[in-house]
Amino acid sequence: MKHKILKLARSNTIFLLPIWISSTMVLAAENENMVVIPDNVDLSNWVCEYCTFEEGMTSEIELGLGSVSDSSFKFGEYNGLYDDGAFGIVNGSSRYRDLDGGFVDLKVRDLALDTREVDVKAGRQGSYKLFLNYDEIPHYISDGAGTPYAGNGSSVQMLQPGWVNAGTTAGMTSLTSTLHPVPLYTQRKRLSVGADVNLSSRWDTAFDVRHEVRDGTKRSAGAFFFNTAQLAESVDYVTDELNASVSYNTKNWQSSFSYYGSFFTNHDQSLTWQNAYTPVAGATTGQKALAPDNEFHQLMFATAYQLSQATNINGDIAIGRMQQNQDFLAISVNPAFNSLTLPENSADAKVDTINANLKLDTMVNEKLRLNAALGYDERDNQTPSMTFNWVTTDTFLATPRQNLPYSFITRTAKLGVDYRIIRSLKLSGGYDYQDIYRTNQEVENTTEDTYWGKLTFRHGSTTDVTFKLAHAVRDASGYNPVATVTPAENPLMRKYNMADRDRDSGSIHVGFNPAEYITVGLDAEQSYDDYTNSLIGLTASRNVAYNADISVMLSTASSVYAFVGRQEIKSDQSGSQTYSTPDWFAKNDDTIDSIGLGVKHQLIENKLGIGADYTWTRSSSEVTMNTGVQDSFPDMNTELKSLKLYGDYRLQENLTLRAAYWYERYDSSNWMLDNVNPDTIPNVISFGETSPDYNVSVLMLSANYRF
Amino acid sequence: MKIQNVGILPVIPLLLYCIAALADPVEKSATAAENATATGETAPAMSAETVQPQAAKPQAASADSDQPAAADNAMSVTRPPVIEEYSKKGADTCLKCHDEDSEYPVLDIFKTKHGVKADPRTPFASLQCETCHGPGVKATIFMEEAKKAGSHVGKVRPGEKRPPILNFGVKSDEPVAEQNRMCLGCHKGGQHIYWQGSVHDNGEIACANCHTIHAVQDPVLDRATQADVCYRCHQQQRAEFFKPSNHPVRFGQLKCSDCHAVHGSNTASLLVKPTLNQTCYTCHAEKRGPFLWEHAPASEDCMLCHTAHGSIHPALLKKRPPLLCQQCHSQAGHPSVARTTAGLPGGNPSGFLLAGSCTNCHSQVHGSNHPSGVKMMR
Repeated sequence: MKHKILKLARSNTIFLLPIWISSTMVLAAENENMVVIPDNVDLSNWVCEYCTFEEGMTSEIELGLGSVSDSSFKFGEYNGLYDDGAFGIVNGSSRYRDLDGGFVDLKVRDLALDTREVDVKAGRQGSYKLFLNYDEIPHYISDGAGTPYAGNGSSVQMLQPGWVNAGTTAGMTSLTSTLHPVPLYTQRKRLSVGADVNLSSRWDTAFDVRHEVRDGTKRSAGAFFFNTAQLAESVDYVTDELNASVSYNTKNWQSSFSYYGSFFTNHDQSLTWQNAYTPVAGATTGQKALAPDNEFHQLMFATAYQLSQATNINGDIAIGRMQQNQDFLAISVNPAFNSLTLPENSADAKVDTINANLKLDTMVNEKLRLNAALGYDERDNQTPSMTFNWVTTDTFLATPRQNLPYSFITRTAKLGVDYRIIRSLKLSGGYDYQDIYRTNQEVENTTEDTYWGKLTFRHGSTTDVTFKLAHAVRDASGYNPVATVTPAENPLMRKYNMADRDRDSGSIHVGFNPAEYITVGLDAEQSYDDYTNSLIGLTASRNVAYNADISVMLSTASSVYAFVGRQEIKSDQSGSQTYSTPDWFAKNDDTIDSIGLGVKHQLIENKLGIGADYTWTRSSSEVTMNTGVQDSFPDMNTELKSLKLYGDYRLQENLTLRAAYWYERYDSSNWMLDNVNPDTIPNVISFGETSPDYNVSVLMLSANYRF
Repeated sequence: MKIQNVGILPVIPLLLYCIAALADPVEKSATAAENATATGETAPAMSAETVQPQAAKPQAASADSDQPAAADNAMSVTRPPVIEEYSKKGADTCLKCHDEDSEYPVLDIFKTKHGVKADPRTPFASLQCETCHGPGVKATIFMEEAKKAGSHVGKVRPGEKRPPILNFGVKSDEPVAEQNRMCLGCHKGGQHIYWQGSVHDNGEIACANCHTIHAVQDPVLDRATQADVCYRCHQQQRAEFFKPSNHPVRFGQLKCSDCHAVHGSNTASLLVKPTLNQTCYTCHAEKRGPFLWEHAPASEDCMLCHTAHGSIHPALLKKRPPLLCQQCHSQAGHPSVARTTAGLPGGNPSGFLLAGSCTNCHSQVHGSNHPSGVKMMR
């Protein structure tokens, strides 16, 4: 059912149409989008005698061996070096060019690792390009998880024969003996193919498809009322994407029309697991739904028109639909609830999206520049709202509930002014307006007004200073708990994305290039949020960050760089254990420090080069509770030290030997995991993970041959 | 009330358009320059060896270039009209000096798309080096200006500094808009549709601040090296990627432009898709749904719970449960209970606090399609 306010807000999108039509109706028959040679330029002597146009094939290949000292999923999280032992180094590239614009590019990266990539591009420049890309992205999540369940990563996970059910983990006498490790990881394998075709000097078209298979396991859980177990949920996803576009470009007018389709398939639609606890009400087995198959289709038109040398207008509109109609699972796998019926066999879920923008930028005169923008984003959830009989955790029949399809409309309007006081000094200011309409939530409408000012000082190419301040006020139209949500929310709760809020932010950036060989950057930013009428929930937050870096070319043979940074993220929140006014308060204080140093040096010109990179990052997270008594949790810390040393020695013109040494040490503490064994928590069979620590060194030797 | 208030906002761009249309000084000044040239206010002769005297030509794109030139000279009353001429031998003039042993080697341009003569869109199918670097010979009607903007390809005495040619990037003294005008002359369509008025355009970022043109491989176009280019300005983002939970940009598995349309877009953070969530769904399509039971903040904005670049909390969360969840959930019963250190190992280990905390039971935080999934437990 459409909400009245949503309808009203949506009807206002009509204001975009006249502007839209006027901008897209202007067809400019200008020159082609290429350089025009002036008639009076005599090119008869422009023979390009010294031009070294590329022709023929060149290739290079790097082969070598590496060795990892220790196994660690955290170290190998994204680089594939999670296991100790040797690994192969296989990289390479090949390129072919002819004088008619024909080209072939082949790149191979990390062929012997889980991060392998093969990229091929071929075509005739100016006419067409074909490409193929195969890419793997690993994510090694945890190698410290253990579980008593068999069939991890599959859709059915059962306990091993002889399992002893109990009311708490302490009574599960076979838990320890049946524990076995379960690696948590995913691996993406992507294959993309596509083509870009220049149909004419004005018309281009592009097409590409991407097929991604994502396999592995991820952290999940299955509960029976207040008893639960962490489970390794199967990841067996396939996502296909399709992009197709046609674009038309002239000197003053550019447009594109495109289609984007995304098709997600999950080969496992459910996860069924055995209850490890003493079953209550016949709940011996549980079943949960995994991510349903779904699709997204979107048509988009984007255009820009240069009204004059000083004025540009651009805009876009995208109309899309997300949908999924996966068959429902049974209300419960508990036979006691076999008689319950579903209102429909599937959700027939549909969300229509409209995203439209219009932007104008103009130089009113030599000093004054104005820009204005309008935006409209709609997520119109047309999923039928039905009343469901439901069973909580396959155990107890609960009060029927109605699904609440959430819809949103976000409208934005922005006006910005730049005024160049003198050549090197520019003053900017602006006003941003945003309102968000929501259905089926506590707040129907929030509006936010943001006022900002910026001062930019730029002295040639040597000095660049930007100082910005902003103040924003967000108001909620009223806070009314949703009646159909049970149990009812504390009426004093203000969800932070819908709460009244004052936000003050400021930043300063200094870029300094006193000479071509030295670059200095200083950066500081701060943001403070005050949730002015929130008694329960998030009440305030602050984010402060400082960064500085410097890079220096000491000579043509040497360069150094360094960076240092600190960030502090703090927040306050409160709650009520008595369903009334606040009676507990919490503070989160996160601090992150980082330092980086690096050097590169050519010991022997064009013969021997060496370098080093060192990074140190430390973070801490402090949680303090106050329930009338101050109660501080142990700090959660991480510390990463990373050192990379590398050197290249050119043995002969086309043969280079490479050596690299990479050492990383990572220490962390996390009270959510440390000393929490599978049977530590009475009502949770946990994975028993510990926060990761590692001490890994990697040695790599390879030879690069060009031919 | 607010809806009605915002009703007048749509007229703002129309008003701006009217203002811009009425006051378009750029074209006026361009016309003035052309008129000045037409009346014979031409420049003194330059080095005869390198100049084509017959090609003395008013700045071919003076109208195009007037915008930055105006900014460059905002406080001066008049500016001598610039006479620009192309060199006599084109690229050969340049390459005699700029070979691989020079201070500014350029020959790698022939291993890039710009150096493909067979493609009629490229510089080398046109005015060669001077397609981008402007006419190699400059002169003005005043000698003092001639010294400043004189002929880069002319003769200079030993020890005398060679007058600059239009160059690009951090080493350039040319106004950024003047540099970018050269690039935008060809690179207007596709992802550049949104350039004008974008954050990077308003911030006066030169194309060459990010792009290295005379290189076989432009680092900003390579997945493994792109981020280092972005970090030159976005220092905080570099620090973010060193946090324990991160998107794998540091490892070269993702590049900034996988999520960000760096040449401009109409989203708040220059995202590649029309909304933030749509951008996230390009890699996380399993979280798109629509689910029967939605978790409202997940449908509204992924960033309500997550950060994009890096976090010291797992899964790129802004903070950890249970406090993360208790920012919005305070119903009577277990959601509202203060979880203290009493729930740590050694005390009464609490499933509401340890391991996955809230997600020990409510594991479907992105939504559930199970008929009994209203509490995100099925």
